[in-house]
Amino acid sequence: MTPARRTGVIRPPTRPRGLSRRHFALALPSALLASGCAAPHQGTGRPGDPIVLTLLSHYASGELKAALQGPVDEWNATHDRVKVRTKAVEFTDLLTTFMVRQAAGQGADILHPYCLWNGQLVRAGVLRPAPPEHAEEIRRGYGEAAVGAASVGGEVYGYPTEMQTYALYYNKRLLREAGAAGPPHTWRELEETAYRTARRDRYGNTLVQGFGLSTYDDSTTVGQTLALLNAAGGRFVAADGRSTAIDSPAGRAVFGLEHRLVTRGASAPGVNVYQAFPSGQVAMVVGAGWWTGSLKSLMGSAYRDVGVAPVPVPEAHDERATLCTGFMLGVNTASRFPREAWQFLSWLNARKAGVKGASKGARATRMSTLQVSVGSLTGRADDMRTLLGAGGDPNLRPFLDALAYAVPEPNVPGAQQAKSLLRKNIEALWTGQQSVDEALRTTRRQVDQEVARSW
Amino acid sequence: MVNTLAPETTERAPHPTRAAAGALGGRGRARRRQAVVAYLFLAPALLFFAVFLALPLGFALLLSMSRWTGFDLGDIDPVGLDNFTGLFADGSTFLTPILTNTLLFALGTVALALAGSLLVATCIDKLRFQGLWRTLYFLPIVTTVVAVGNVWKYMYEPGGLVNGVLNALGLGSVAFLQDPDTALPAVVVVQAWASVGSAILVLTAGLKSIPGSYYEAAALDGAGPGTVFLRITLPLLRPALLFVCVTQFLTGLQSFALIIVMTKGGPGDATDVAALEMYRQAFSHGDWGTASAAAFVLFTVVLAITLAQLWIFRRKGEDA
Repeated sequence: MTPARRTGVIRPPTRPRGLSRRHFALALPSALLASGCAAPHQGTGRPGDPIVLTLLSHYASGELKAALQGPVDEWNATHDRVKVRTKAVEFTDLLTTFMVRQAAGQGADILHPYCLWNGQLVRAGVLRPAPPEHAEEIRRGYGEAAVGAASVGGEVYGYPTEMQTYALYYNKRLLREAGAAGPPHTWRELEETAYRTARRDRYGNTLVQGFGLSTYDDSTTVGQTLALLNAAGGRFVAADGRSTAIDSPAGRAVFGLEHRLVTRGASAPGVNVYQAFPSGQVAMVVGAGWWTGSLKSLMGSAYRDVGVAPVPVPEAHDERATLCTGFMLGVNTASRFPREAWQFLSWLNARKAGVKGASKGARATRMSTLQVSVGSLTGRADDMRTLLGAGGDPNLRPFLDALAYAVPEPNVPGAQQAKSLLRKNIEALWTGQQSVDEALRTTRRQVDQEVARSW
Repeated sequence: MVNTLAPETTERAPHPTRAAAGALGGRGRARRRQAVVAYLFLAPALLFFAVFLALPLGFALLLSMSRWTGFDLGDIDPVGLDNFTGLFADGSTFLTPILTNTLLFALGTVALALAGSLLVATCIDKLRFQGLWRTLYFLPIVTTVVAVGNVWKYMYEPGGLVNGVLNALGLGSVAFLQDPDTALPAVVVVQAWASVGSAILVLTAGLKSIPGSYYEAAALDGAGPGTVFLRITLPLLRPALLFVCVTQFLTGLQSFALIIVMTKGGPGDATDVAALEMYRQAFSHGDWGTASAAAFVLFTVVLAITLAQLWIFRRKGEDA
């Protein structure tokens, strides 16, 4: 019953007014606000509603994306209160995406940075230190290099995911044809084998590089040099993180070795080793563990010619060492649900689950299973031994063994720029723009200036 | 008598003055209303410029005098002119080789593209199927930089097409992109090749606008092709040449996509240019202050070069 009928007062009929402009103007912001609040972003936070955590990674391609989505789906199916949504961009856009989203207040709850950026991210207040129980879990469960990569200033900031150690890939056929009995163990053997296997045509075109040195990208150029530097007992950045230590006997030895290999024709830095090695045009090259998976699919049956050995050391009695790079999963300081985010990360990275297709009772963390499924490694040696088993690719063993003695890539604030500066100077050395001394001096001056900046 | 007349006048016409004032006030109100309406119509365009030009420019200026890592707007830390002095400090590579490379890259591109497009446009002007030729030369413009860069990169490689031709001629291979002496010229050639199409379009339009009577008169006077080109074509083509020159220089000074694809600024920093360095500083190294300061330095260089070009052409009688 209408009010008029209730009171018995008859009023003249009025035209239905609809929504006035004033009402519309008042209603629009409220509607937008309401729709914004109701948007499925991080959950409503109301009791009973699930919390939605966002995870931003570079697992954007088919295989990697599917590999991460598997455990995330498992978590979502078994956890009602906290859900996880993955977002992925290409690796080349990852840091930029972190920056833009963070500046816009849209940073993801869980970040998956390259450990090289950790100093930069910590300096900018993006990464939240791991709570003590999680830090302890990480220190206990991972190798020293993995923990070092995920730490800044001694404080742990996340769970290490894939870890890449560097080793020497060699082409067994090319070494055999050159009369080498096996892979080199010392730098002297490395040089001899490199000169014996290198071949050029009469126009100077490289047919076979004895030792592949490539200017393909920062990671390739610097990774090769730093692996050799670590093998010689040297470090790129000093322990205090405020200066470079490359201008040392070890640094001089590495620069000298590379300079000789280039000037004597055993290396052709312009050639892309990622194409040349699978084509049988490179006898030896230092590379990271992820490459084995690519080589298998690229080379087919020719993969049987590929061998992997530890990075040669200067002298036979020297201790082994190599470079280790990696990624980690950390929690954003801007996350509204850090406790839940750490719980999810612990479940993904530290809780063990049964491994499909492995022997009965075999258990490993979901992250390790994920990484091995895409041909990568994690910093958990026990998981790796379980997952790789006795029948796995023997070429992965040297990378796995290297987890025990690898040196983490420096991740101090300014590490990315230091790496770029080192690359420029290495290239200047390889192309004859600088001598060994000049390259060391310039690298020291430029890198010192960068890492010593007061941020 | 002014003193006596003046009050009289004011007293004599109080009403008309008020009316006039009222009319004036009405007209003023109408004008104001018109102005308001005009500004309302202009508002979308002004808002566009404010959001996409004035605001970023102001923000960039603020950043150029600050230290900011790119993550939190609350962390912008003013540092005065430190970023600018840092760019030109002892040991900095910004002036040499980065800014020098930028200028050489732009200059080389303009010189090659201008000479090439002038030659091709003159030839096309004398050919049949001019539309077809213009389309063919315009194709690189509609091709992505990544594709162009990669194709040329393969052509330059030791086993590539260019070295294949050199080898066929009995010459040794040249590591075009790996040798610091040849890397920049090699990239300049590609940039010029890629930008010659748009220059040809402008120059052919310029050639069409030259009255045929001049050429007829020159032919009657017995002028040769060289004289006709130098005395008629070139002077009358000056507006088109100015346009091509200015736009190509602007593009060359700000270009870096092709360099990223082909050399990533290497070997060493043999092909590093200002725009690439700005990109790296901001997006890779998180040093937005230095990147913004470099942007303003580059802006100053671009402005100075553009003004110099306009001045040179004006001295020769061409009004921009």
